[in-house]
Amino acid sequence: MRVVIGEDEALLRTGLTHVMQAAGFDVVAAVGDAHELVRSTEEHLPDIVVTDIRMPPDHKDAGLRAAMEIRREHPGIAVLVLSQHLQRAYAVELLGDRSSGVGYLLKQRIADMDTFTDDLRRIAAGGTVLDPEVVNLMVARARGHHDALDRLTPRQQQVLALMSEGRTNASIARSLSISERAVVQHTSHIYDELGLAVSDDDHRRVLAVIRYLSS
Amino acid sequence: MVSLALIGAFGVVVAGVEIALFAGQDVAPWWLLALFPAGGCVYLAAGLEAWRRRPSNRTGPIMVIGALSWFVVALANTGTPALVAVGVVLATTPLAVVVWLLHAFPSGRLRSRTSRLTVVGSFVVSLVLEVPGYLFDPGASPGGMLSVGHRGDLVSAGTWLQRGAGMVVMLMTAGVLADRLRIATPGQRKVLLPLYAYGILAVLAMPLGPLLGPSAGLSVAQVVGLQIVLLAGVPVAFAAAMRRGGFARTAEIQELSAWLASSAATPELLADALGRTLGDASVQVVYASRDGRALVDGGGAPVETSALGEHRGLVDIELGSRRIGAIVYDATVIDDAELVRAAGQVAALAIDHDRLTAELRASHADLQQSRTRLVEAGDRARQRIAQDLHDGLQVELVLLALEAQHLGRMDGSADLPDAATRLRVGIDGAARHLREIVHALMPAALVERGLTAAIEDLVDRMPLPTRLAVAEVNGHLPAAVERTAYFVVAEALANAVKHAAADKVTVTLEHVPPRLVIGVTDDGVGGATQEGGVGLHGLADRVDALGGRFTIESPAGGGTHLLVELPCGS
Repeated sequence: MRVVIGEDEALLRTGLTHVMQAAGFDVVAAVGDAHELVRSTEEHLPDIVVTDIRMPPDHKDAGLRAAMEIRREHPGIAVLVLSQHLQRAYAVELLGDRSSGVGYLLKQRIADMDTFTDDLRRIAAGGTVLDPEVVNLMVARARGHHDALDRLTPRQQQVLALMSEGRTNASIARSLSISERAVVQHTSHIYDELGLAVSDDDHRRVLAVIRYLSS
Repeated sequence: MVSLALIGAFGVVVAGVEIALFAGQDVAPWWLLALFPAGGCVYLAAGLEAWRRRPSNRTGPIMVIGALSWFVVALANTGTPALVAVGVVLATTPLAVVVWLLHAFPSGRLRSRTSRLTVVGSFVVSLVLEVPGYLFDPGASPGGMLSVGHRGDLVSAGTWLQRGAGMVVMLMTAGVLADRLRIATPGQRKVLLPLYAYGILAVLAMPLGPLLGPSAGLSVAQVVGLQIVLLAGVPVAFAAAMRRGGFARTAEIQELSAWLASSAATPELLADALGRTLGDASVQVVYASRDGRALVDGGGAPVETSALGEHRGLVDIELGSRRIGAIVYDATVIDDAELVRAAGQVAALAIDHDRLTAELRASHADLQQSRTRLVEAGDRARQRIAQDLHDGLQVELVLLALEAQHLGRMDGSADLPDAATRLRVGIDGAARHLREIVHALMPAALVERGLTAAIEDLVDRMPLPTRLAVAEVNGHLPAAVERTAYFVVAEALANAVKHAAADKVTVTLEHVPPRLVIGVTDDGVGGATQEGGVGLHGLADRVDALGGRFTIESPAGGGTHLLVELPCGS
């Protein structure tokens, strides 16, 4: 699996490269500039792009804008955005109207190598990965706007959070040590309660849930 | 001034010519005849002095008219028939002028209807009722030139009618003056009483002299001489009144402004100077409250305009269109409100200057304090960061280092992977703390996306329902303004969570060029003050340093409303 990395901190860029190579990824380019990232991506057409948000040339959100441009221009290339600080607005923008093949994680998650490489593979396979922290933020905020969330049981709320992170039913079942059947029951109840259209497609359901939480 | 001197010189010349003409007369002793123009000169001198002291007051001109009447009356004693006739016709006008003077002093105007009627009446008595005297007595004018025949009965009737009407005029005058004395202040009474008493005595001496003189053993010439001296004394009485301060000289407005420019205008000194300028020692300066509605005296006590009394006048002092104060004066002394207004205009600058100086001093002291507080706030922030790093992160790192050391000694133990994971989780925690510290110092959203995004992020993280309304804020704000605005909102939201026990909060952000307006309103317990918390005070200073406005309304139980306006160029 071919990867292009965008990270302006040289040490972290090297660290990321090592982690990914160790996990069997083929790092075809590692650059420290958002424009460079777009150029390298177009040149190498990798399977996945991993990028920081705050990067040259403006040291603002150039990395995020580059990630969105790549997603727009090359729908087949998966994108993982890393950041020191997570924001709801960034998650919503990044997902746009298509939640497949995208991830948004805290930078420090790369230290948990197994989980991180697992997430990378899910994203590359067209899945969605949102950091639990940004999901918590969105759920907590949405509670002030939607009474329906308070009508969910604690277990259903856990399931909702994991759904929002982009996890599959099997993965949710493993995390909560319950059966997949139970997960399906919970999710259908959540759909009813929130008034969402039932969708078997994991990617699409993330989008629906995130939109609901952000509305 | 030159014209007044000319009038004076003209009068003196007239008097001289008349006295020279009397030299050849033998109808009466020469000294007695000379008394008429001499009396005129006394009037002239007093009148011109009054005119000079207060050009806008009519008292001076009235006395000059009095002088003229004396000179005209004196013509009756010249040998020239035409001149004698004029003197005969106007023989008693000096008395009418004295009545006029008494009614008009000190303002120079006839203030009441009764006064006007009385003065008109006195001129009717002296001009119209004089007519039978020369019309029906051929002996009254040279060669009977004014006479139509001899009718002794009509002459006598006319004389009695004139005396009777004259007495009525004098009684009315006495009544008016007595009434004025009754309502006058003690200070005014001291000035007016001698003047009025003497004036009435002098006028009454005219009809009463011929009646009482003979019984006192006086000759006709002595009685007439006494009457003339008494009437000529009227302007002397005015001079005495002037000396007592009832008719002080008014300084020119320019003198007032020169004085104001060279002196520190404390309220007392200013009232003094205005009093000198306007010739009214009772002048009082009162100041408008900030909104211009209420008036307070120099000591800050409220002044009720309705309780001033009917003889106190009040003229507003305005600067631009704003009322900054008022001058309260004695309306019986100063007739001309425009004069007071003009003096007020000059004083307005001094009063405003005084106020501005006080404000400047106060704001300079505020500035010093605010700068000190800014420095202190900076120091405090540094100290807090140092403390956070030292107590939190450093301790965490020491513990992690120990754990790493421990890991090194495990050497092939089965627990090694778990221990390594624990170490990683611990490092994760330390990294999170570091992120929080960095975020508090300079939030990522503010750096990456600007103010609106950063405040959205703050609102996203609020543990209670928080509404954000943003209008017209689209980038390009100066960095200092964005940061200050951000920290204002961050602090206000933190306070709403920590202290206000609020149920909901509203944040508004509006760009109204050239200002950015930030509002944070909660429905909590209120009672927050700018002085109360270090956080709010520090923010107020930041806002102040940028030239903005910081207001907080926080009534107990009524929530807290913070409003900050920051200038932001465009």
